[in-house]
Amino acid sequence: MSKQDFLNQFDHITAALPLQGNARAIIHNGLEFPTTRDEYWKYTRTASIINTSFKQNDSAVNTLEQYLIDGLDAHLIVFVNGVYSSGLSSTNLPEGVKVVALSEASLEDKNLMCEHLGKYINSEDQAFSTFNTSYFKDVAYLKVDDNIEVKKPIHVLSLSAGEKQAINMRNLIVLGVNSKVNIITQYEGDNNSESFTNVVTEVAAGAGSKGGLYIVQNEGETASHINSTQVSQSRDSQFSVITVTKTGKLVRNNLNYAVNGEGCESNMYGVYFTRGNQHVDNHTYVDHLFPNCNSNELYKGVMTDKSTGVFNGKIMVRRDAQKTNAFQSNQNVLLTDSASIFTKPELEIYADDVKCSHGCTVGQLDEEATFYLQSRGLSKDDATKLLIQAFASDVIEKLEIDALRESLEEFIHNQFNN
Amino acid sequence: MSDFLNIKGLQASIEGNQILKGIDLEINPGEVHAIMGPNGSGKSTLSSVLAGREEYEVEGGEVTFLGNDLLDLSPEDRAREGIFLAFQYPVEIPGVSNINFLKAAINAKRKHQGLDDISAKDFMMMVKEKQALVELKQSLANRSVNESFSGGEKKRNEIFQMAMLEPKLGILDETDSGLDIDALKIVANGVNKLKNKDNAFVVITHYQRLLNYIVPDFVHVLYDGRIVKSGDKSLALELESKGYDWIINEVEPA
Repeated sequence: MSKQDFLNQFDHITAALPLQGNARAIIHNGLEFPTTRDEYWKYTRTASIINTSFKQNDSAVNTLEQYLIDGLDAHLIVFVNGVYSSGLSSTNLPEGVKVVALSEASLEDKNLMCEHLGKYINSEDQAFSTFNTSYFKDVAYLKVDDNIEVKKPIHVLSLSAGEKQAINMRNLIVLGVNSKVNIITQYEGDNNSESFTNVVTEVAAGAGSKGGLYIVQNEGETASHINSTQVSQSRDSQFSVITVTKTGKLVRNNLNYAVNGEGCESNMYGVYFTRGNQHVDNHTYVDHLFPNCNSNELYKGVMTDKSTGVFNGKIMVRRDAQKTNAFQSNQNVLLTDSASIFTKPELEIYADDVKCSHGCTVGQLDEEATFYLQSRGLSKDDATKLLIQAFASDVIEKLEIDALRESLEEFIHNQFNN
Repeated sequence: MSDFLNIKGLQASIEGNQILKGIDLEINPGEVHAIMGPNGSGKSTLSSVLAGREEYEVEGGEVTFLGNDLLDLSPEDRAREGIFLAFQYPVEIPGVSNINFLKAAINAKRKHQGLDDISAKDFMMMVKEKQALVELKQSLANRSVNESFSGGEKKRNEIFQMAMLEPKLGILDETDSGLDIDALKIVANGVNKLKNKDNAFVVITHYQRLLNYIVPDFVHVLYDGRIVKSGDKSLALELESKGYDWIINEVEPA
């Protein structure tokens, strides 16, 4: 299938905002989808996506039960195939918090959205981001006013319903000065859906704000998922992104931070558990532009069967970003000989007074530890699961929402049953 | 013939090297057996084979425990049937809490016996009681398994686990190595308190020192993969003063 044929499948979608028309012009003309000849996409082939005839279904979801996380108390906003579903959502938002879908937004809210939408993500030369901007049908817009602390997390649940859906899910998160919030973006679907979800999330973290974005990817074993997240931080803000990849045939995460002020903290954590022929690729980039900032990064993966993991993390410390502390680590356990990981931690430093480290490890579970646990009466399966959970524990404990942590522990328990 | 533990003609090898060349040993409930012998005689191999370590290949002989073919059981089933190996080098397992792991182990055993999970209250009472037995600091019980424990703390943690799991047969593989005299006394004292008429212990050691505190009913000398001499506790004292050469000379006449 040619690029034009692929794009033509989407051209009937109405452009709701002018920026969508501009993006369509860019992607129809010069901009190409990446191939493995591009360094940034060296290990991840997207041809299987670009060669697929997708469908565009209207929502057909009656119950959320199978997708909801047990015990999670949150403001729930549901999108089905990229379109807001008011019937499935249930929010009781406190004052100072706005959660609006573009499809239901007032003119005033639309104008507020357009002040930020597309201002942070790179839509000029990243084809999947531009593709998202071109064809998104709706936008989840979350805004927290200055000095407001949101107690309960905001939970944006994106579902793919029906076969071979192509979904451009768009999130826009704007945190006011000194505000505080945790946001969960959860992607779910059915095992045989062969769906493709292409997410763009833009975050504007105001000065002194403190935010957490939890990305939970679980769209089933035949789904493809590309997730581009751009965080723009103002001074003294703290923002953490924690990416949990459970299922997906092909998952690619592009997480980028622009640290646009002094005194910021940027945290990137991730766990991925892959099996079968799964392919999970995490690319991160932190751009330290100002002095006195910290960034912490830890990604951990457990791969079995013939699955493949990719990690590429880059920390850029610009000349003015003195007194930067930046730490990056990627650690992997391979449970089988045919599982593989390509890992590349990178530092690029132009300032001369910084503290930075990076590293990666690849190993197996400790057989002596497995035997030790067995010799106390645990089955080999239980011993293995306990060791996998222990390996991932320093990322799991970053999930500060108990229900998320517990659901992940249960997932590990089921994923590694023999 | 003992229907508790019965080892007959046990032969085992690792990576093609035969280490055990025909071990015969009978153990009855209520007994303490010490196994001594020079380096490389097969002491640790014997304990590993009994616990079910996969690297060792059993090439001959049989082992029955409580009427079952022990060698047929997985390591976890041996543990659930009541065998406990106190490791010579306890493994550090970061991220796995000592307490949670012990609870899982106890419940695995209870399930095997057809019992329900232990209640949280009973479990905590048991932890408290057994900690006191081996003078293990409470903070250690709550930490990750053996992580940054001192040598002595690791060995005490082994005995603590043994106390929690209440095995029928406890095998102590050179538990005394690397212990100072105070830690040695605490470990030995723990074992003595656990000893009763229904369980038995195998104490593997280089030195007679530990046997001052855990008094064996039988002492066996392992040499070149066989038990070459057995006696009572006085044999251990004799070995301490005379070394192993006189026994080796008896076995391998010049």
